[in-house]
Amino acid sequence: MSPQLSTPPKVPFFRDTRTLKWVFQIAALLAVFALLYWLYGNYQENVAKSSIQTDLRFLDNPAYFTIPGSDLDQSQPVRDAFVVGFLNTLRVAIIGVALATVLGTLVGIARLSKNFMVRTLGTVYVELVRNLPLLLLLTFMNLAVVLQTFPRIENAWLPLDLFVISNRGIAIPWFIGSSTQLVIGILSAALLAFVVARIRIKRADITGKQDRAWLYGILTFLALVVLIWLLFGYGWELPYVDGRGTTGGLRLDPSFFALLASLVIYTSSHIAEIVRGSILAVPRGQGEAADAIALSSSQKMRLVILPQAFRIAMPALGNQYLNLIKNSSLGATISYFELTQIAQITVGNGSPAVPAFSLTLLVYLAISLVTSLVVNYFNRKLALVER
Amino acid sequence: MITWMRRNLFRSVTDSLLTVVSATILGIVLVQVFQFVFINGRWEIIQVNLKILLVGRFPDELMYLVGFSILAICFSIASLAGGLERAPNSIQNLPAKLWGLFQRFGLIAATAALLIVLAADFDAVAFGGYVLMSIVAGTLFGRLRRTTALKKLPGWIWVLLNASLPMVLIFITIGQAALEEWGGFLINFYLAVVSITLSFPLGVLLALSRRSSLPLLRWLSTTYIELIRGAPLFVLLLLAGVALEFFIPSSIAPDAIFRAITVFTLFTAAYLAEVIRGGLQSIPKGQAEAGKALGLSTVKITFLITLPQALRNVIPAQIGQFISLFKDTTLAGVALSVFELLNVGSAITKQDDYLGQGLIYETLAFVALLFWVGSYVMSRESQRIEKKLGVGLR
Amino acid sequence: MLAVASAAALFLAGCASTEAEPTTSATTDATTNPDTGADNGSILDSVIAAGVVRCGTRDALPGFAVLNDAGEHVGFDSDFCRVIAAAVLGDATAVEMVDLETADRFTALQSGSIDVLVRNTTWTATRDGSEGATFLQPTFYDGQGMMVTANSGYAKISDMNGAIVCVAKGTTTEGNAALESSRLGLDWEIRSFDETDLILEAFLAGQCDGWSSDVSQLTGLRSAYPDGSAALTILPEVFSKEPLAPAVLDGDTAWAQAVNWAVLATIQAEEFGITSANVDSIRSSTEDVGILRFLGAEVPGSEGAAILDPNLSLPTDFAYQVVKQVGNYGEIFARNLTPLGLERGLNSLWNDGGILYAPPYR
Repeated sequence: MSPQLSTPPKVPFFRDTRTLKWVFQIAALLAVFALLYWLYGNYQENVAKSSIQTDLRFLDNPAYFTIPGSDLDQSQPVRDAFVVGFLNTLRVAIIGVALATVLGTLVGIARLSKNFMVRTLGTVYVELVRNLPLLLLLTFMNLAVVLQTFPRIENAWLPLDLFVISNRGIAIPWFIGSSTQLVIGILSAALLAFVVARIRIKRADITGKQDRAWLYGILTFLALVVLIWLLFGYGWELPYVDGRGTTGGLRLDPSFFALLASLVIYTSSHIAEIVRGSILAVPRGQGEAADAIALSSSQKMRLVILPQAFRIAMPALGNQYLNLIKNSSLGATISYFELTQIAQITVGNGSPAVPAFSLTLLVYLAISLVTSLVVNYFNRKLALVER
Repeated sequence: MITWMRRNLFRSVTDSLLTVVSATILGIVLVQVFQFVFINGRWEIIQVNLKILLVGRFPDELMYLVGFSILAICFSIASLAGGLERAPNSIQNLPAKLWGLFQRFGLIAATAALLIVLAADFDAVAFGGYVLMSIVAGTLFGRLRRTTALKKLPGWIWVLLNASLPMVLIFITIGQAALEEWGGFLINFYLAVVSITLSFPLGVLLALSRRSSLPLLRWLSTTYIELIRGAPLFVLLLLAGVALEFFIPSSIAPDAIFRAITVFTLFTAAYLAEVIRGGLQSIPKGQAEAGKALGLSTVKITFLITLPQALRNVIPAQIGQFISLFKDTTLAGVALSVFELLNVGSAITKQDDYLGQGLIYETLAFVALLFWVGSYVMSRESQRIEKKLGVGLR
Repeated sequence: MLAVASAAALFLAGCASTEAEPTTSATTDATTNPDTGADNGSILDSVIAAGVVRCGTRDALPGFAVLNDAGEHVGFDSDFCRVIAAAVLGDATAVEMVDLETADRFTALQSGSIDVLVRNTTWTATRDGSEGATFLQPTFYDGQGMMVTANSGYAKISDMNGAIVCVAKGTTTEGNAALESSRLGLDWEIRSFDETDLILEAFLAGQCDGWSSDVSQLTGLRSAYPDGSAALTILPEVFSKEPLAPAVLDGDTAWAQAVNWAVLATIQAEEFGITSANVDSIRSSTEDVGILRFLGAEVPGSEGAAILDPNLSLPTDFAYQVVKQVGNYGEIFARNLTPLGLERGLNSLWNDGGILYAPPYR
């Protein structure tokens, strides 16, 4: 008896799940587009009633404002102001990320210390800061610390005669000379130091002696920097109070300081929690194995636990970095001229609101995407390749 | 004791050094705080402005509505807790139970006591008494459900019954006192609760769409989520502040609270979607396959099997999102000039009697206290729920 | 537990979405007009239909618009909102004061959330052109000045080399300060803040050397400061023209003319010497045809036909209502700005040394 091959009964196309799926999707897409179209229509209608621009022509208009800390002239176009704002955002973001990571890691490790006092200090810090809104910290930093606690310029603090601290900013000693040259110099010194360290490690692999790569690397770096300094005739400039301002040195805008301080404190508390969690997530066996081969406590932390912990922490850390970058937009509330402040000012001066703020949002989106890409890159490089 | 100190504080020379340094830092900080709170602090500004800080410019004659709403909420929560929680043979004696309650709610009680002390009038003490009475009454009412025939009532009717009283009162309060007059801590709470509730359905929808097998839906939801997650909330609020009225027909004039709720809802929905998506990913495929084996449609599988489990698994993360949102409501104060707690705190230092006296420390300390207690208690509760549910342990 | 959460969610969702309605309708319950809004009908029609004028203003500028203890708006600008309501609707209290921030004062006008903007806003060419606003008769001719602390040692603006000047974000003051700084070669560092509160904090703490704003604003703020006139000095130079004028949306001539003549009525009334106290007696006893026309007196014997009806879409006795219910320009000024110490100066009548000049009502 031969088995009969029966074809399944043909389903009419309007009950076929494939068609239905596509119909549903297209319907959903149409619904969303209809909503967007309605919103856009309202927008166009309301805008036409009031004859305001809707494109990016406003970027060519003169800015009519100056930015402290930059030489922007008030007749330069708005796009230049946006560029300055963007650079200011980057500045606070990069420094903030670096400082927050360092502080956060230290506090995270402190929370796991065997020392009761240190542990308590860390716990109090993290629990206190984590549960406060960032804006509160920022307001506190600005109104209470910078404006109230820091002295007026007439009574500025002069710690060690090197710094000038007042509520108009913190002036630090700075070098005199071309900064691009110095940056190039420092980068090449770092490169050379890196090469020297690698050579040391290679030699250590062959001879078996301690490589002390760090020591050699840092010494080379310092030596080269001093060499460049002397060679190109760089000098120091100490700030001093001059009338109602300071002359000499580099003056850190008080808003920059307040913003940086609050961002670093806030983000470091979150990073501390992440670092603590990731250290706890490193398998116990690793720590025990490190003890078994008689590594000292700091060696254990440095060589075994921390590298693995960072691998685990990387995605969460990346998230916190993104948060820090987005939170830097709060600088607009304390007159720090970053991207959002610039956008607010130009909108107040007559630039159309929706295009200006949309441009700002796109820039933040771009920064976020780039940061995500960088973090993902490191994530992939550090990721364990499981068998 | 000595051994404990030796082991924990003075293990080695560096250790001892660290102990000394940290103890000094802690000591200095504690002394300063103590001096600030009890000796030097000029708390009069808080006492005088307590009402504005807590409820803004709420009309005085309608304050009883707020009072009744709070009492109703306490009553409902207590009765829900009393009625749903099945306490098996409670072998804990009363002191142990009280200690447990103290650990959980001690901070809130202490803060409430502080507020009553600051208010320093008999009405506040009386109100505190009323709150206690309503909590006790609620618990008893809840017990009633477990012991009497009310047990037969299905759970959701019980919940509805309990929720209806505060709901009705809240409706009446909103009807009587226009939202523009709400302010202070009340409006922070209101914004957070309304936004997270409204964002919930949208977040679930987005999470499901992002995991759907239909490419267009996936693309739509991914674009939305990634766009919102890359944008700072502050800038979105600013944009809504100047541009929201362009997108709606001109007969409606959105006020600041409407704008704030819109932005917070859209913003939180994207983050909630990611949280829920994580929850959905943590459900073993076997669950959905079992559903298919039973012949359930995809929709039924999602809403009856996968989604409930996923939501339950990520309750702590959802509470974390709520805490985040609660803290972010302060942004509405700077971006949209909503009269919320932080805004009020800075504004009262500019009153005629207090201008130029450097009272910002006191007001910020009070604002910080309220936010801190709220966030801390909520995160502790979420940790407790996490432990109870055994999330991650199964 | 989930049931609790979802039930609560549904409930709150339901109640929150209806909550959104009461708030919006509380502020706009009147504008239930179908589509007149601004496409085909005039704002004037919708205002008359709604029975209330939505006036964009602010709530914390001493002298111009502050909230008193009873929650009412009191001030120069607030009074002019009432002037418009009295003229158009015959009732000075038929105003809805909409408090606006600097950032969204123009967008509120553009989107139709308010009918008229009376918020110490400077009339400039750019605002006429790119903000979609039409400015009307200026109510206050102001200028931009600089306020410094009395012990700062600055006697004039050119002393302030390298100073830190604080301004409000998104106002003409920013651009003017920048221009002035580059014109005089003074290298100012200009910091801009969202609200006057923040500027006040920075100024009190000594972070700002000078606070630049309209002289009228500075005077008002100085009066609210603890030892105002002793501790703060407003430098004598005024470095820009700041005519403060009400603004309406472009493209609506009927409404613009109505608002314009309402404002002009106060100036003309002062010129005629008519005050809120004597308007009734003047109307019944005067022989001056000019005054009779102005007050919308009727032709004797004809039931209700006014001597002059210029077809401004305003009731013919609008001037009478304005003066009776709010007062003439001088009264409004004296009530709100004189207590702050502001002189009439440029804001006097044309025949009194100032530049207030109302076109003839005929």
